[in-house]
Amino acid sequence: MISDTGEQELFASGHRACPGCGEAIATRWILKATGRNVIIVSPTGCLETFTSPYMFSPWRVPWLHPLFENGAAVASGIEAALRHKGREDIKVIVIGGDGATFDIGLGGLSGMFERGHSIVYICYDNEAYMNTGNQRCSSTPLFASTTTEPATRFSPGKSRPKKDMPSIALAHGIDYVATTSVSFPKDLFNKVKRALSIKGPSYIQVHTPCTGGWNFPPEKTIEVGRLAVDSGLVPLFEIEKGNLVSVMKIKKKVPVMDYLKVQKRFSHLFIEDLGKEELAIIQAIADQNIERYGLSNQEEN
Amino acid sequence: MAVALAVKSCKPGVISSYPISPQTHIVEYLAKMVASGELKSEYVLADSEFSAASIIYGASAAGVRSYTASSSQGLLLMTEVIYNAAGTRLPMVFTGVNRAISAPISIQVDHQDTFSLRDSGLIQFYVENAQEAYDAHIQGFRIAEDPEILLPTMVCMDGWVLTHGYEPVELIDQEVIDAFLSPYTPIHYLDPENPLTFGSYAEDDILMELKYMIQAAMDQAKKKIIEIASDFHRITGHSGLRLIEAYRTEGAEVILMGMGSMAGTVKEAVDRMRNDGIAVGLIKVCCYRPFPSEAILQACKETQAVAVLDRGFSMGSEGPLSLDVKAALSNLKTPYIFSFIAGLAGREVTIKTIQEITLTVRKAIDSGQILRGSQWVDLNRSLL
Amino acid sequence: MKTTIDATVIGGTSIHYKTGNWREFRPVFISRIAPCREACPAGIDIQGFLWEARYQRFDQAWKIIMEENPFPSICGRVCGHPCENACNRKEFDEPVSIHAIERFIGDYGLINRLNLPVYRTDLNKRVAIIGSGPTGLSCAYHLRRLGYEVKVFERSTKAGGMLRWGIPEYRLPETILEQEIEKLGNIGIEIETSVSLGKEFLSQGLKEFEAIFMALGSQRNRKMGISGEDLLGVQSGLYFLRQVKEKRNLHLGEKVTVVGGGNTAIDVARTALRLGSKPIILYRRTQEEMPAVVEEIEEAIKEGVRIEFLTSPVSILKKNEKGFRLECVKNCLGEPGPDGRRRPVPVEGSNFFIETDIVLTAIGETIETDHLLQSLDRTDSGIVVDEWKSTNTLGIFAGGDVTDGPRTVSHAIGSGKRAALAIDAYLRELDYDHLRSFLLGKKGSLSMAQRLNPIPQNHRNDQVVSFEDLNDYCFDHKPMKKMPQISNFTRRMNSFDEVNLGFSERMVLEEAERCFRCGMCSFCENCYIFCPDSAVIKKDEQKLVEIDYEFCKGCGICAHECSSHFIEMTKEKK
Repeated sequence: MISDTGEQELFASGHRACPGCGEAIATRWILKATGRNVIIVSPTGCLETFTSPYMFSPWRVPWLHPLFENGAAVASGIEAALRHKGREDIKVIVIGGDGATFDIGLGGLSGMFERGHSIVYICYDNEAYMNTGNQRCSSTPLFASTTTEPATRFSPGKSRPKKDMPSIALAHGIDYVATTSVSFPKDLFNKVKRALSIKGPSYIQVHTPCTGGWNFPPEKTIEVGRLAVDSGLVPLFEIEKGNLVSVMKIKKKVPVMDYLKVQKRFSHLFIEDLGKEELAIIQAIADQNIERYGLSNQEEN
Repeated sequence: MAVALAVKSCKPGVISSYPISPQTHIVEYLAKMVASGELKSEYVLADSEFSAASIIYGASAAGVRSYTASSSQGLLLMTEVIYNAAGTRLPMVFTGVNRAISAPISIQVDHQDTFSLRDSGLIQFYVENAQEAYDAHIQGFRIAEDPEILLPTMVCMDGWVLTHGYEPVELIDQEVIDAFLSPYTPIHYLDPENPLTFGSYAEDDILMELKYMIQAAMDQAKKKIIEIASDFHRITGHSGLRLIEAYRTEGAEVILMGMGSMAGTVKEAVDRMRNDGIAVGLIKVCCYRPFPSEAILQACKETQAVAVLDRGFSMGSEGPLSLDVKAALSNLKTPYIFSFIAGLAGREVTIKTIQEITLTVRKAIDSGQILRGSQWVDLNRSLL
Repeated sequence: MKTTIDATVIGGTSIHYKTGNWREFRPVFISRIAPCREACPAGIDIQGFLWEARYQRFDQAWKIIMEENPFPSICGRVCGHPCENACNRKEFDEPVSIHAIERFIGDYGLINRLNLPVYRTDLNKRVAIIGSGPTGLSCAYHLRRLGYEVKVFERSTKAGGMLRWGIPEYRLPETILEQEIEKLGNIGIEIETSVSLGKEFLSQGLKEFEAIFMALGSQRNRKMGISGEDLLGVQSGLYFLRQVKEKRNLHLGEKVTVVGGGNTAIDVARTALRLGSKPIILYRRTQEEMPAVVEEIEEAIKEGVRIEFLTSPVSILKKNEKGFRLECVKNCLGEPGPDGRRRPVPVEGSNFFIETDIVLTAIGETIETDHLLQSLDRTDSGIVVDEWKSTNTLGIFAGGDVTDGPRTVSHAIGSGKRAALAIDAYLRELDYDHLRSFLLGKKGSLSMAQRLNPIPQNHRNDQVVSFEDLNDYCFDHKPMKKMPQISNFTRRMNSFDEVNLGFSERMVLEEAERCFRCGMCSFCENCYIFCPDSAVIKKDEQKLVEIDYEFCKGCGICAHECSSHFIEMTKEKK
């Protein structure tokens, strides 16, 4: 067990996250991995908003919020500045949401990857523009209902598949790409630690369930995250220098239904038989992931 | 080249670049200097101007002197970051190479691009020639980094005219520059030893005050620019920045006003007209933001007419410089203020143009028919 | 705080904004009852001692057991471990081997001569206990610890009752029994042997003693009710075991038939094996229904005892000088009887005969009534007592096998404790109702710890934790450790050496780790790990975490993720 009794939490109490927020838990563990000698950049998003009301900051490390689209670009500037000062011991990380990463900040992120800065880019993925109230993003999964692409009688919610951001990161030839989940904090901790030791850019995508946006009771945040991973929909893996070096085997396999039915954003798929086809498609995605990444646990079978 | 040499001698820690005509060669020179080891900076090749500005924003937040350059569309793309930098009170220096804005696309000079930044909190200097450009950059770093100012600063220079010409420029020795410009010592920066949170959101109970502080810094800047300029002069012997330059305005009936390289043309026109006995003078506005209202008021209160030449336009209103001048002189009964729009997208502003403008103004005063609104000069009416 | 020109904020200032105000529900630590503890008739704090054992604090573990049960070395050998049958871990993979760990701790206490002090010594009240079996001795132990002077009267030459005479050496070595009983002497319990007390004592004894506890046990062999059972050579199995213990020379003959399905029947058969015979057990129902301890049945079969299930004896005929011919019938299982167990129904025409040298019966015991006071209420099953072990005569209590109820060692110990608490209440002139606050769950076990150091009600919840209440995601599967036994089969079968060798210390440490700590903090740290608001504070490795109510928003993740159901969300009082 990671023991740090007596050490101050680098992510202080008193921030304004919704009760049960997955991002807050993830951020606590990211900071345990980075320690104090770090500079963090957060583009506009939930994390930025709930941690920076003027005069009340939980960040016990240096932190900068620039704009929505330039987290990666600003971090690049900081990293260059630190190199100029001879302080490459200070790590630079970006903690940004899926909106800032997958959509509006993609250009700047691509530039950061391509130039090869030693920055760990961590995207907390709650699968929509949550800060503004659950609008559809390219990270929103297939058939989820959002306010700007809602499920109605004529449409099953998001009609396009989730953008495969890890593959985009990988296409830049960076040395470390990983996916993890807030429900597996030890995994998250280890992957952040690994990324910090890599020279050059790294990309980590953290799946963070959102109690308000996905609509489930706040105490179930961790349970929902586990179900996502155990269904195969959210594979947790590490790719180093283009090779798959580790996957998290599924501990207790569940059908995707178990994961989807806990969240009201998928409730339209469970009205009688209406969502049958869509559920089959989603199950197929999960099965494909299990096949592709080798997620099934032999012991279970 | 002069600009690149000026920037080099100021030793920025981080330079970012993105190509756009006609500023590209500045950053190309800098790239060569870095690559050859002459300049020890981190040179970051951005993926867009937005990123280029963001990169130096980050570098400045980390406490390092930083620089970039852009034009036209690129400056528009940098706008969000420049507002952000002003609000976060981070110093950085830009070269704004003036060029027209799309659409229609044109790579020729006018001031529309830097005018569009005038509300942001960016300090703007407009230079007339290469020597001024060289001197202004060196002073610009010190102005931006002054603890009472702490605002992004841009030296605006006309594209092609000033960037692609050959002019003699007197350079200053490195030791002299070092005596004038010491290394950047930030008040606040991102430092694990002293963890600070930058970029909080502010509610209505504090936001106006924070914005007011930017204006207060701008006001303070007017004084500080003069102080720093005089220090520059003392140490280097070169003349320092001025807020305005008054050329042969004593006893002038008509004062022409303009910014940038066209001021050189106007000076020549003024000389000729004076020779012909016309009492005309020029006020070259060197520092556009903060706007030198008091200096202009002082300089114009005796004259009868002021003819403002704008090399850009606020669509739906009037020439931006003329609006600022009208605001500065609003409480005076005289002089009458005339607004002329000239030289957009590189159309040449000739001596003849200046003379015609002067004539128009004098006629208007004599006839009592004061021209309202902005007059577009040298328009080819057959194309309309 | 003065505004800085560039709107920077010093890090960590969010602690001035108390998000605890957002809360509608607050997490509270509430200890609940683990199913093992509820199931243990002796009421041992099982998670408590497993926890201490896990960290090698064997002294502490021993103290915890001894608080409730004076005989861990005995129970750890002979108890049928209802705790393991109730263990929540059973639903996950296999139960924790509680039994074996209890034995280790008990033996540790004996080896290191540990002693538990009495609670107080100033009460000056005397209680007489008749019978030194596990019931009597348990009652004596608890009363003595509560501060009473206790004297135990035993009819036999040695103390121990069923423990000594009814359980064979290879299950419970006599040396262990001696040491366990000696512990009682160390705290001032007087045991007088070879004294038989009868009606006279019962009518006069209350003049000398403030209360009397009858723990006479039941040794009278129950009759089968078939012809020929009074023939010479048809013996009581229990009596046979006693004779073996008394080291009498016995001549069994090769063919031994044992009738019955309880522990006594198994003990008799396995003892007969060791004396060179080939025993058969006749049991009227199936293996699943046999009341004996499951491991005992398995060991018997492993050792070569033949068991004829669904078989009942019908009559016994003498055959030659020695030997019998036993007529038996096969049964099938019919409808359940009043006790819920399916009745054996003889199958017509399935009769058959067995030739045997001796018949030993072990179908249960009844009480001896000759010595009892006439006025005492009794039935076939035993002396009648109320919920709190009182007979119909004030001041006279009874418990254990002499009253009705399950007849196991741990029940005996529990019964003795219940009587001790009742006598204590009686002597302090308190209402018996308050004894309910010592109950653990619904199976009747009582907690002496609660009597001596009560935990306030608002930190306790009488719910028993079920497997569904736990969050088992963080547990890994790990099989139960198996008891090592004598490996040399010949040596095992030709001696009365103890068959089970006991766990090693390393086995104890590893096995104790498997306990889920139902209803208590298991230090899994899930609450600390998953709190979004950094509002769960770790003090140090061993202490409980604390909730920082200034910042806790009441999201409920800690309660939901708690692996041992120790956190409850309670409505915030405004």
